[in-house]
Amino acid sequence: MSGRLDQVVEQIGLRWNGAVRPSPNLAHDAVCQIECPSEQLGEVCNWLFSEQDYSFGGLIVEQQKHWHLRYVFYGGAHAGWIHLTTSLPGGESQLPSISRLIHAADWHEREVEDLYGLSFEGHPRLGDFVLHNDVFHEGIAPMLKNFNGSEPVTDRSPDTNWRPRRIVEEIGAFAMPIGPIHSTGTAPVYFQLETVGEDVIRAQPRLFYAYRGLEKIAEGRRADDVLLIAERISGTSAFAHSLALCQSVERLCQVAVPRRASTLRILIAELERLRHHISAIAGICESTGLAVAAAHASILEEELLRISGALTGHRYLFGLNVFGGLSMDLEDTRCSLAAEAVANVSDRLDTLQAMLSTSSSFLDRLEEVGVIEFPDARDFGLVGPVARASGLSRDLRNAQPYCGYDRIEFLVPHESEGDGYARLRLLFREAQQSTRIISAIAKSLPAGQCRTPEWGLRPGAALGWVEAPGGAALHWLRLGEQGVVERYRIITPSFANWHGFRLAAENFAFQDFPIILATFALSVHENDR
Amino acid sequence: MTNWVIKGLRTGVKSTRYPRAEETAAGCSPGLPAATRLPSDLAEMIVARCPTGALERSLEGVDVDLRRCVHCFRCTRGSNCTVDWSGGYDWAGFATERTGAFGPPFGRSLHILVVDTGDCGACLSEVKQLNNPYYNMHRLGFFLTPTPRHADVLLVVGALTEQMRLPLRKAYDAMPTPKRVVAAGACALSGGVFGRSFICSGGVGEFLPVDVEVPGNPPPPLAILHGLMVVAGRKPPASLYRRVENSSADEPR
Amino acid sequence: MPMPFVLAATLLTCGAGIVLSLVLDDSRIPALLGCLGAIASLLLLVLSGASLFTGTSFHETLWTIPQLGALTLSLDRLSALFLFISGLVLLPASVFASGNLFRYLGKYSLRTYCILYFALFATLVLIPISADALSFLMLWESMSILIYLLVNYEHEEKEHTRAGYIMLAIGEAGTIAVALAFITLARNGSLEFAAMKAAGIGLGEEARWSVFLLAFFGFGVKAGLVPVNFWLPQAYTSAPGSFVPVLAGATLNLGIYGIVRVNGYLLPALTPGPGLVALIIGSVTAILGILYATTQSDLKTLLAHSSIENAGIITAALGAGFVFVALKHYPLAAIAFAAALYQMLNHSIYKTLLFCATGTVDSHTGTRNIDRLGGLIKVMPLTAGFFLVGALSIAALPPFNGFDSEWLTLQTMLQSAELASTGIKIVFAICGAILALTAALSVTCFVKAFAMSFLGMSRSEAAAQAERAPRVATVPMGFLALLCFLLGIAPTYVIPILDGPIAPIAQAARAADALVPPFFAGNPHHNELPAAFVADFHAIGAQVGQSVMPARGLIVMHRGGAANPVVFAMSTFYTAVVLALMLLGTYVVFRLIISSSRAVDRRVVWDGGIRRLLPEMTYTGTGFSNPVRVIFEAVFRPTMVEDTSETVGKHFRAAIRRTRGENHVLDRLILDPISDAALQAANGFARMHHGFLNAYAVYGLAALLVALLVARFA
Repeated sequence: MSGRLDQVVEQIGLRWNGAVRPSPNLAHDAVCQIECPSEQLGEVCNWLFSEQDYSFGGLIVEQQKHWHLRYVFYGGAHAGWIHLTTSLPGGESQLPSISRLIHAADWHEREVEDLYGLSFEGHPRLGDFVLHNDVFHEGIAPMLKNFNGSEPVTDRSPDTNWRPRRIVEEIGAFAMPIGPIHSTGTAPVYFQLETVGEDVIRAQPRLFYAYRGLEKIAEGRRADDVLLIAERISGTSAFAHSLALCQSVERLCQVAVPRRASTLRILIAELERLRHHISAIAGICESTGLAVAAAHASILEEELLRISGALTGHRYLFGLNVFGGLSMDLEDTRCSLAAEAVANVSDRLDTLQAMLSTSSSFLDRLEEVGVIEFPDARDFGLVGPVARASGLSRDLRNAQPYCGYDRIEFLVPHESEGDGYARLRLLFREAQQSTRIISAIAKSLPAGQCRTPEWGLRPGAALGWVEAPGGAALHWLRLGEQGVVERYRIITPSFANWHGFRLAAENFAFQDFPIILATFALSVHENDR
Repeated sequence: MTNWVIKGLRTGVKSTRYPRAEETAAGCSPGLPAATRLPSDLAEMIVARCPTGALERSLEGVDVDLRRCVHCFRCTRGSNCTVDWSGGYDWAGFATERTGAFGPPFGRSLHILVVDTGDCGACLSEVKQLNNPYYNMHRLGFFLTPTPRHADVLLVVGALTEQMRLPLRKAYDAMPTPKRVVAAGACALSGGVFGRSFICSGGVGEFLPVDVEVPGNPPPPLAILHGLMVVAGRKPPASLYRRVENSSADEPR
Repeated sequence: MPMPFVLAATLLTCGAGIVLSLVLDDSRIPALLGCLGAIASLLLLVLSGASLFTGTSFHETLWTIPQLGALTLSLDRLSALFLFISGLVLLPASVFASGNLFRYLGKYSLRTYCILYFALFATLVLIPISADALSFLMLWESMSILIYLLVNYEHEEKEHTRAGYIMLAIGEAGTIAVALAFITLARNGSLEFAAMKAAGIGLGEEARWSVFLLAFFGFGVKAGLVPVNFWLPQAYTSAPGSFVPVLAGATLNLGIYGIVRVNGYLLPALTPGPGLVALIIGSVTAILGILYATTQSDLKTLLAHSSIENAGIITAALGAGFVFVALKHYPLAAIAFAAALYQMLNHSIYKTLLFCATGTVDSHTGTRNIDRLGGLIKVMPLTAGFFLVGALSIAALPPFNGFDSEWLTLQTMLQSAELASTGIKIVFAICGAILALTAALSVTCFVKAFAMSFLGMSRSEAAAQAERAPRVATVPMGFLALLCFLLGIAPTYVIPILDGPIAPIAQAARAADALVPPFFAGNPHHNELPAAFVADFHAIGAQVGQSVMPARGLIVMHRGGAANPVVFAMSTFYTAVVLALMLLGTYVVFRLIISSSRAVDRRVVWDGGIRRLLPEMTYTGTGFSNPVRVIFEAVFRPTMVEDTSETVGKHFRAAIRRTRGENHVLDRLILDPISDAALQAANGFARMHHGFLNAYAVYGLAALLVALLVARFA
């Protein structure tokens, strides 16, 4: 299965003879762990990223006696996962940055610097990221093991003179502030649009107003309580994230999930994806001021919420995933009823798409607006529908199948224009695929149990992944004794896509800004965690 | 453009009949645990399963603090011993010792500023659903506004993070009087799953004078609507703490 | 007192100013300039007012120069109008200058300034009353030189010197063109205007055209008309703050005076052609002026471009008048000329006001850059209020004076419906549309000028800590603001006064009767309106003011034919009354509803919840007007946009630097090609300097051949 992975690992061994050591448990679970000294890190990462077409998944830092840094890469089908690990003696706090070579690592390094106090040599933009310097001083590093995460920070000594950085130097340039409380019912995010009027020259989002320290508060909790946290990373992709965590626990403890449960998981995950995409479509229609279409899309969204509620008991699918399966069995008849209802929604969605594709005033606002070219999308490590609209067609469901996605027939659509309309078309096409999957599964649900009865938690660490509605989500869980969580790393698609959002928003007019934002379907909460 | 008009007309009326009649469609609400009469050993077991302390033991069974429930369904799934489950959505009640509803003439139409102070996005999504044709809050005189200058009601969702304190305070201060604060969702009421930590507070009530609390995680649109009706003085508040009904009051305890 | 004595007194005051400034210490010069300037202006107002209001005139021959003829002075109503406007401008401008000049104390010689100022004052007085080409040209030339010296007063700035040179060069070209026009006109040997007018009747069509074009563009230099106005923005920007009001309020008018005197009075056009040229040039001037004004960020340059716009509007209305005269629609011509002269009067007043306010802002904050101002209303409330009045006036909003004249101008354009020729109608329609667009853009422009400078947050320390303007600045501004208001609400009293100067050029006596019928004078039979209509008007009480105030009521009304007795009617006075009542009513209702017990709650600005709203987060003037720049990209067309972004790695951006160089559309289309061609020719000739002897011989031979050929066939 992992032939490509073997080749890559072999080449690494040849190229960096001796310096870079593939670990002995080669190709276990299509995951290859490679130990790499920090000096070679940049080179190897760049080789994997630029020449071997591996995507940069994320950076995972663990504080034990030493610092353990894990750079996660994943490839296309059969290319598996490569974890480049490097360790740093406990006292040290500096290592080379890779983000000049792999720009996708930019925000990961900034986050680590802000939360752990590790410094990345050569990174031009450290400090004031997750923790805002006007609230906490730069020295606070909450992810350190000796930081007490349960009490408010008493000594904050914030930087009272903090002001947003400006880089545009042009006569008459000013910074238009938007947020953090802006528009009606939007998540907290501050945009600084630098401009001389009319066109946005630089768009910089300031995020993490909704930073809830989930990775920190998970530490020391029991694994099943952390599952509740996983559901609340992003309420609109709750099932995807809880599924990713379940998979990491199940992979770690080698729990075999019953076939019925994993199939039902696909059904529910696709239901969630469908709802997420329809919600994004409603947002796009609303941003262009097309009220009737927005109302229709939101009717469909509400109907899907009701279908979810009726089927699983919760409109946002909370409380359904448990380690080893699902917390309740979903009867076949109810599943097929739900699938029928979903098919009905999908039919009406097709009508909506047909009508939208002939509304020229609507298309004018989307076409050739917010363009992201393929090379940029790749450099920034964009994921999900946003990346696929720019021709970057990697989808974990078929690249690194889980839950039995490899047994199901579906297409991963992609577009090449990378503009707002391409993103909209892609949402419609993915929604159609989700409906197809749901219909196919509901017809042929395997019988059996819905939850593995007997199994125990064991110490160790494992990666769980899922193609969340917004893109690739990776959850790294390290369990200690008695099922207590030692480290929980959440890498979310919104984190990657917020990073690249400026590519689309810049050099377009003000009035395009909300539309471009809507076509990205970004979640602030998923990013902030 | 005409085909949009035709499509709109052909779709017909979708709006719920709430508050004139109950909404009975499936999937409108996740429901909440009901206070359940249980023998003490079972009650002990069930209370232990609750991750947020929403269930409390009483003499006759299990009482429920609605403000803490996060819909984890652990008290009703995966075991033979369960609490009763109540549907419905008329959950909103007055926060302790607060003035409560608007009196006339302010209750007819309210402008609402929604501030997300760090939720998971589900509460915010449910607030957004209030504008969809099913709930259509405009018909009841409720309007979302982007600026506190026009707002009568501050609807806060989400656990209050440190970095949202200043924006929230500024928004509250910028609102003209008379004003009311509605906190919606377990996170805003009690900190929810996240709890009190270095970055989150244990509820918005510690920071602002909250008038009406809407339980739920997230509260379904109808519950939020009920909360708004309560703050407008057009619906009676519900009790936020459900005790086992004392069917035998005369019996000695 | 006989008029020549008043004139002599005015000139003597100026002379006294010159003499005294030679004696006095530099620190006392401003007071001297203020006092004597005000006295001279008042004398000038008496002199011109007497002629303007009563119609008295004088004609004096000073002395005769052999070969060239007599130098004569003559004051008629047309001259009196221009003198009167000069007086209205010079009075506050002199007082204002006395306060504003102190900033130069110790840096530049105030004595020089004072001498030049009074010398210019005297030429400004004499030019409109010189009644022969010789004295006119001599005065005109001295005015050009004096203006050059005054514009170049801050001579240590390189920019200013350059602006002065360009101005001097193009000014000389204009003078030569005017001289040629006069020479063409002086067919029977006399340089006196009266004789020229008589001689003009027999002139052929080609000669008429050449006189028109020479005079129009020659005077157009001073008036600021396309394409000979490229000196104007630079010169206005360079001129001292105390002198620009004079430049915009008085000398610009003299350009218009030249056009009216020569093209309207001495040699009225017999065909609509010249009028159409004036109309088109005026409209193009207006739209280009306002476009460039809107995108400026220097207040002074903005106002300079707006002066060009106003000169364009005036010229367009004059052009319309010329067309109507040529086609013998005399009442319509009267309306057009009234609009033009009214606009000129108004422009002088509000532009002087705006330049005074800008000068005050400049001297109190050290900058005129709108992007660095902001929030001045809090520190300079009076200046802000007066600037607002000026801005409302220039943006043509009632109840201020700009509205009256622009409304009349646009109405004039609409009257082209009465013309027979379709071609002319189309030209009028297009020009009318351009002028309407100009009016709309001027609102944008002055919303920007006022809001971005005076409202919001201060974008610089200097702007935040500016001090209040002293009385010597606010009193002149207040006077001008009051004039803006009075001229705005009482057009029915202004137009009959304009009637005097107009009558000879519109070739219709009592021309203003067409515009403000003496209908309200109390005698319904006095006018030619249908009796029933008059009765109706009386019945609805529209004759208010009939007995309270003499004259013609308060409604501007164009009398039409029997079928359509009123073509258009408007009363800015009643508009002002209604506006005032509405404001008062709102205030009363507000006070009634909001009882005093419920105090007004003041909160900080809602900023979206960010830590601090910084001045750099508010719209700049450049940002405000950028949509205009984008929409009219074809006109502005930046010649260079330099993008020097700095990045670290591939995607980390350290700085985005962009500079935009702009080349004025006239420079791009006219000046640059000419200067390029001239340079190329010069290079070509330069090559001849270094040739061989043989080549020179060939040149000589060729020249001889050409001369012979010309002699043979000529």
